[in-house]
Amino acid sequence: MPEKPLVKSSPSFFNNPRNRSLIYQFLLLIGLAYFFYGIVSNTLANMEARGIKSGYDFLSTTAGFDILMSLVPYDATHTYGRTFIVGLLNTILVSTIGIILSTIVGFLMGIAHFSHNWLIRKLAVAYIETFRNIPLLLQIFFWYFAVLAALPSARQSMSFGEMIFLNVRGLYFPGLIAESGAGIVYGAIAAAIAGIFILIRWAKNRQNETGQQFPVLSTSIGILLGLPLLALFVSGFPFIWDFPALKGFNFRGGITVIPELMALALALTIYTGAFIAEAVRAGIQAVPQGQREAARSLGLKESKIMKLIIVPQAMRVITPLLNSEYQSLVKNSTLATAIGYPDLFTVFVGTTLNQTGQAIEIVFMTMAVYFVINMSISFVMNRFNASVELAERN
Amino acid sequence: MKEFKPLPAQPAPNDTIGPIHWMKENLFSSPVNTIVTLAIIAFFATVIPPLVDWLFISANWVGNTQSACTNENGACWVFVIAWSKQFFYGSYPVEEIWRVNLCLIGLVAIIIASFKLNKDLRNKIAIPLFLLLPFISILFLDGSWIGLEYVSTDYWGGFTLNVLLAAASIIVAFPLSFLWALGRRSDMPFIRSVSIVLIEFFRGVPVLALFFMGSVMLPLFFPEGTNVDKLVRVWIVLTLFMSGYMAEVFRGGFQAVPKGQYEAADSLGLNFWQKTLLIILPQVIKISMPNILATFVMLFKNTTFLLIIGIFEMLSTTQTALTNSNWLGGHSTEGYLFVAVVFWICCFSMSMISNSIERKLDTSHKN
Amino acid sequence: MKRVTSVIATSLAIGLSFGAQAGTLEDVQKRGNVSCGVSTGLAGFSQKDEHGTWSGLDVDVCRAVAAAVLGDASKVQYKPLTAKERFTALQSGEIDILSRNTTWTHTRDTSLGLNFAGVNYYDGQGFMVSKDLGVKSALELDGAAVCIQAGTTSELNLADYFRANGITYKAITFDTSDQTRGGFESGRCDVLTSDQSQLYALRIGLKDPASAMVLPEVISKEPLGPVVSQGDDAWFNVVRWSLMAMVEAEFLGIDSASADKAKAEGNPSQKRLMGSEGDSGSKMGIPAEWGYNIVKQVGNYAESFERNVGTGSPLKISRGLNAQWNKGGIMYSSPVR
Repeated sequence: MPEKPLVKSSPSFFNNPRNRSLIYQFLLLIGLAYFFYGIVSNTLANMEARGIKSGYDFLSTTAGFDILMSLVPYDATHTYGRTFIVGLLNTILVSTIGIILSTIVGFLMGIAHFSHNWLIRKLAVAYIETFRNIPLLLQIFFWYFAVLAALPSARQSMSFGEMIFLNVRGLYFPGLIAESGAGIVYGAIAAAIAGIFILIRWAKNRQNETGQQFPVLSTSIGILLGLPLLALFVSGFPFIWDFPALKGFNFRGGITVIPELMALALALTIYTGAFIAEAVRAGIQAVPQGQREAARSLGLKESKIMKLIIVPQAMRVITPLLNSEYQSLVKNSTLATAIGYPDLFTVFVGTTLNQTGQAIEIVFMTMAVYFVINMSISFVMNRFNASVELAERN
Repeated sequence: MKEFKPLPAQPAPNDTIGPIHWMKENLFSSPVNTIVTLAIIAFFATVIPPLVDWLFISANWVGNTQSACTNENGACWVFVIAWSKQFFYGSYPVEEIWRVNLCLIGLVAIIIASFKLNKDLRNKIAIPLFLLLPFISILFLDGSWIGLEYVSTDYWGGFTLNVLLAAASIIVAFPLSFLWALGRRSDMPFIRSVSIVLIEFFRGVPVLALFFMGSVMLPLFFPEGTNVDKLVRVWIVLTLFMSGYMAEVFRGGFQAVPKGQYEAADSLGLNFWQKTLLIILPQVIKISMPNILATFVMLFKNTTFLLIIGIFEMLSTTQTALTNSNWLGGHSTEGYLFVAVVFWICCFSMSMISNSIERKLDTSHKN
Repeated sequence: MKRVTSVIATSLAIGLSFGAQAGTLEDVQKRGNVSCGVSTGLAGFSQKDEHGTWSGLDVDVCRAVAAAVLGDASKVQYKPLTAKERFTALQSGEIDILSRNTTWTHTRDTSLGLNFAGVNYYDGQGFMVSKDLGVKSALELDGAAVCIQAGTTSELNLADYFRANGITYKAITFDTSDQTRGGFESGRCDVLTSDQSQLYALRIGLKDPASAMVLPEVISKEPLGPVVSQGDDAWFNVVRWSLMAMVEAEFLGIDSASADKAKAEGNPSQKRLMGSEGDSGSKMGIPAEWGYNIVKQVGNYAESFERNVGTGSPLKISRGLNAQWNKGGIMYSSPVR
């Protein structure tokens, strides 16, 4: 015999939450479709009226302008597609430098907030409150036009051992030009890095099992320097030094760090560092006082307490904040356009847009790139966050 | 038996009180600390005197034109003073400036009122006024609809434009972002994914790119022949940008409201909107207040980026002043410094307010 | 997303104003002002002073049109625009005239739906170097660092010129001209390149203007002029002849001081320009005294030039190419008859 249904009368059609939610979503879908249809048809009509051709053909036409700094070979005869790559790499470069340095500065300043030295404490507070509250654009101007512009001219460069030069045009390092056989050295560097990872893991396991500590840091440095040096001797130094030298108007040769990059990286570091310092401060304050007291009563040194007890727990608070700070750093790097550092925004939305007039395609591509970069940062940081999260034991 | 009589308390040992001890403890507690302290003091001793001299002692204060800046070794504040009206109000007609001021006063008054008034008045008057304020201000500043002299948006500018744009954007973003945050928590998959895409898009894209969108792309989106004022386009973009950030702030707030509050509201038989607006929203706003302020500070600082698309906010007015042929004397340091100080004062006081709210809300006992 | 639509709808209701589709002249007369797109700040051409008053050679074109059509040079609505927005603003009808230091090129004239109404300044790209560099010609600049403003045609001209002459260089781009000057002054670059008219403004901005010199080479032709949208001939004529009237007034020797006299008792061609003879105004649909209003309120081309960029201004640019055709320049106007 068939079972009798429990509820006899089903609720009226509109009171059924399932139907209601379907209706709401359907309405939203129609609204959205109408909205986008409106935008697209308007845009097409407008573009036709103004004689704008859409499409990505411009990417393969010759750019015809030069870019100050490029990590891949580039000159005016390359295409707009190439300018996109050049700009993208420059954006990634400055963002990476900024993220690494601002993390260091931020953690130092955040921890300095708890220093025993009154002056350092106050200095940390002053740093945070000053640089957090001034628009970044002004800070970029400050570093570029006030600080770096005060460096000496090319002819009166500061020189460090006639190898490294610093002047208003940039920082010049001697570079290495690889010859055949350099592969051995690169391999040795990779091997050293891999070796260090294995060493860290082994040392941690050993400490967990036996309680004995291993001098990981000094051994790692030893491996990192020793292996490549050994490889250098074995392969007979397959490099030529390329020293910077003053020729004509400028230094040539070696590796140049342009002042635009220095100013932008400095400004991003100092600005984001202030926010990270504030996050670190909040994170450390969120660690219960009892943890510190317990650590002291175990007889740990103050420096060890910070490193082993406080900071790991504070990381739970700090990591989500770091995630959003890193993302805003990447987004803020677009201000490069104010001082002419050739990042994606300057090169692509600036010059390329102006020359081709393909506003929609270019703005869209640029937005997509930043979106992808930020999503990747978010992905990595969320993974990291999962690793520092409180492990609940049952 | 002899009664126990405590001895009078001894004064603290000499080396644990007084400024000398404080300095020993806080400045010279170890050799490293001593070196650091001395280095910091030496740094300030070399930097501060010439700075004070340039800023104040040798600075030029009096006059109306560039030629009044006679002392080369001091700042030319004449430049800032002569342009101060432009820096603060843009080209808004002098005799109409009271309208700008009134809008600012209205903004401050309504914010204070919504904190001070009792609950009933707040819900009935302050909050609706707060949400209507951007629109009232626009009617008022524009003037043509309410019988005042018409002032085109091309004449609006300066620091007040930074403030009003930031305020107008965040106020409109309030309801918008609240809906987005609700959408992100919704059970309906399509609504949820649309909300997530919106929020992540406006958070993941540089604000500069959004400004470019407002200045070059939006005109293409509107029907042919219509033309939307540039300031309105920027306002739309700023509002959407702000909504993305605020939606995340609200989401954090939603998560912080204890689950029992939802259940209690359900058990009282409140429907969804009653529950959300009357029970949850007030708690969310209270919890999120420090973050809302922080987001506002960020937005406020970001309004300076508008200079890239040629809106005469304060920084761009400064740049205009620097290119005027009667003031071509290289006053950029004075100009930018002045802008920096004005912004710093505003942002710093807002972060102070945010800190004090945070302390008030913080009921945990840490120490 | 419904919310977005509603926000846009609300803002549309606030900011909406229908652009001029046809008959800009009637629109302007009805509205009572001329909407004019200018630069956000370009010394001598369009600049705002500390009282918010606009002045400059480009601004004077707008004022002349307002004087011709409305009889009052002050009835101009200035719309400051960035280089990227300028054509969009004209195409969408937001502005009536674009007078923003715009180079007349074939592409712009033929494919953007615009018309150039004339030339109010003949410019060309040049170089400024520091004197102690000891350089006398741009051809000696091999390996130099060049400061340049981003997003301008100068960037392309520079690349073309140096490539054609086999010279290597490093371009350092800045966002605004003031920043370009800052870069040059701090020694970031050896050379600054820009339109010559701007080089003079930038040079005065230096702490020590005498330390820099402008090289003789001019590497491009930059005829700058006002632009109107295509397909509105009546308006095009008004703008073209307002500009012509200023040049013609200089040729005929009428300035703002002598305008009254020329109108009352001048020779026939002076009287025709001043509107006391003939019907040049009614043919364009504007007041008969249009020429008189322009000269009286704005001045002739020479006055405008000297006041904004010439000897009466800090820029002190000489007339050069912009002198009258009979005085060594190429400024030439068709006769009003």
